[in-house]
Amino acid sequence: MATTIAFDAELLGRYDKPGPRYTSYPTAPAFHADFNAAQLRHHALRSNQELIPRPLSIYVHVPFCFSPCFYCGCNRVITRDTSRAAPYLLRLAREIELIAPWYARDREVLQVHLGGGTPNFLKPEQVYELMESLRRNFHLTHLPQRDFSIELDPRFLNVGDIASYAAIGFTRASFGVQDFDPVVQKAVNREQTVEQTLNAITACRDSGFRSVNVDLIYGLPKQNLVGFANSLDTVLDARPDRVAVYGYAHMPQVFKAQTQIKDADLPDAGTKLALLQLAIEKLTAAGYQHIGMDHFALPDDDLSVAQAAGHLHRNFMGYTTHAECDLIGLGVSAISHVGDSFSQNPRELPGWELAIDRGQAPVWRGLELSADDRVRAEVIQQLMCNAAVDIATIERRHDVDFWNYFAASRPRLQELSEDGLVEFSEARIAATSRGRLLLRIIAMCFDNYLDHQNAPAARPRYSRVI
Amino acid sequence: MSPISRNPIADDGDELHFCSTCAFSAACMEHGFDKSRLNELHVLVAHVGPFAEGEHIFREGDPFEAIAAVRAGTVKTYVTDSEGREQVQGFFLPGEVIGLNAISSSKYPCNAVALDSVMLCRFSFPGIAALAAKLPGLQQHLFRLLSQDIGKAALLAGNYTADERLAAFLVSLSRRYAARGFSPTRFRLTMTRTDIANYLRLASESVSRGFRRLQDLHLVEVDRREIELLDLPKLEAMASSILRS
Repeated sequence: MATTIAFDAELLGRYDKPGPRYTSYPTAPAFHADFNAAQLRHHALRSNQELIPRPLSIYVHVPFCFSPCFYCGCNRVITRDTSRAAPYLLRLAREIELIAPWYARDREVLQVHLGGGTPNFLKPEQVYELMESLRRNFHLTHLPQRDFSIELDPRFLNVGDIASYAAIGFTRASFGVQDFDPVVQKAVNREQTVEQTLNAITACRDSGFRSVNVDLIYGLPKQNLVGFANSLDTVLDARPDRVAVYGYAHMPQVFKAQTQIKDADLPDAGTKLALLQLAIEKLTAAGYQHIGMDHFALPDDDLSVAQAAGHLHRNFMGYTTHAECDLIGLGVSAISHVGDSFSQNPRELPGWELAIDRGQAPVWRGLELSADDRVRAEVIQQLMCNAAVDIATIERRHDVDFWNYFAASRPRLQELSEDGLVEFSEARIAATSRGRLLLRIIAMCFDNYLDHQNAPAARPRYSRVI
Repeated sequence: MSPISRNPIADDGDELHFCSTCAFSAACMEHGFDKSRLNELHVLVAHVGPFAEGEHIFREGDPFEAIAAVRAGTVKTYVTDSEGREQVQGFFLPGEVIGLNAISSSKYPCNAVALDSVMLCRFSFPGIAALAAKLPGLQQHLFRLLSQDIGKAALLAGNYTADERLAAFLVSLSRRYAARGFSPTRFRLTMTRTDIANYLRLASESVSRGFRRLQDLHLVEVDRREIELLDLPKLEAMASSILRS
């Protein structure tokens, strides 16, 4: 993808409306409670019967956090009581034992990701036990190119533990920074020093982690250009392999913690856009590739390499190099994508615990993809990963006459084309350099679950696209 | 408009016309017997189905009454050994006939199960046998079907490598689809990996490793249960020791 991105504040402002992030299609709000554990099992068994069954990718959710960051929209439980980890891990081990037998043993696990919450709420010995439990029940790959990653909160991290995580097998670490500006940190209740962060990154490098990821957020309360510029410079000096720059999604009706953030403290739309522009300019000037949406990576990182080779994929963990995997989500609220199904575990601890204590695979909701879902999912996947759709590929793989099938999408694309966001011909749809920041808007043209006549603004299910 | 199914489905016949995949139409037409004529002779029993995926069409030991031509879908035949292990005998595609191995006895000697949505055309066996006595072309056709059925099982008994077995399996499917007017290079395998492994006398893992090898050699491209044969001549060469004809 090009390293320069044309930026047009007027245009971006006009298109700043709510929209899905397309970490899946159909998106999670389309999941329904009729989908149960028996159906997930059916899809898992079926996925073993493909001619070359897909390798596996495992996500484990650790919901506990020591303190609440006010911007957070993740599913988490705030506690300082570390004794809560042990019973959670016991049930995770049970969940692994319940689900693993559904998958053929010759299916290698190429990717493991521990997310949260705060995975380092667990002690290294506990993380080790969890990985051992996965190793006993699944065939975790020994390949050096394995992608085993862990999210770490530098504020609660014993830097000495990082070598232990490397020894357990992790190859990539992800750190939340958001912003180093002390005023912003206070406003979001996340006070984290530069020193803590840089020490952690250095320890990862020294311990042999292959890749380090840093998350930043723009649009936070009290955020300004000077402070964010300093934060970016500090982060870029440490030269993490990947940087994610997320837009803050203010939805206090949905995420209770966000009610702690005063509307008056939020930067206005103009400032928000300027913050994003600043981040993009600094990152691209520093040699980072814009992978798509909110992700940037150094040219030699796996993500950049995968994108160049056309192997990039987007899922609930963001962008990944493992397009071909079936995804198994473990733990409270985790999402799975197995065969032609999506499914999600209960969002609250009691529901998840109850299912496991009854010896049932915990499935709260999900859906089976229809043939129509599958075509649209691939179009959206191509847009999010390559900023383009190759029409012949879609026609060949799905036996459709593309422009006939997507006749309703054409006028929507035409509108975006007139605004210079997208170019399309009989053979190809491609986001322009301006459109690359608005991939969600382009993808929405193909979303059959959106009410295209009435903007979904009334229901705050999705955050604004910028 | 919904995506077109890649599963071959026969054009439906009617009172006067045979289905496009009919196993017997060519042999009957050769003698000037059209469908109405066969009806008069009470040879055609009925179009039956659809049978859903996993539904049994007949079971081992059921009384034998009729042979059936597959109109759409895939049928698997299998027996279970004394330890309850399944042995896959064959897969039957549109235009192919199931039940032929029952004609020497009064009971079906195997189970037949639908692998996807299956439509059949059942023929009264006494009826078609009587007709075959009058029509030498039909009789020859029946004999040919019978010998093919016996030949199939013998094919894989030899000492062949996994790659040879897989290539022979794919080439055989390709020829059979081509004979009915479907694409010889791109089709969906409705049988599971386990079934293919069982039929080819291989482990499931070996089947997948084999497909991966063929894919790495750019001979095939696999997408879940779908396959495209990229180099049919090379696959035919690999299969040649098994498929001598």
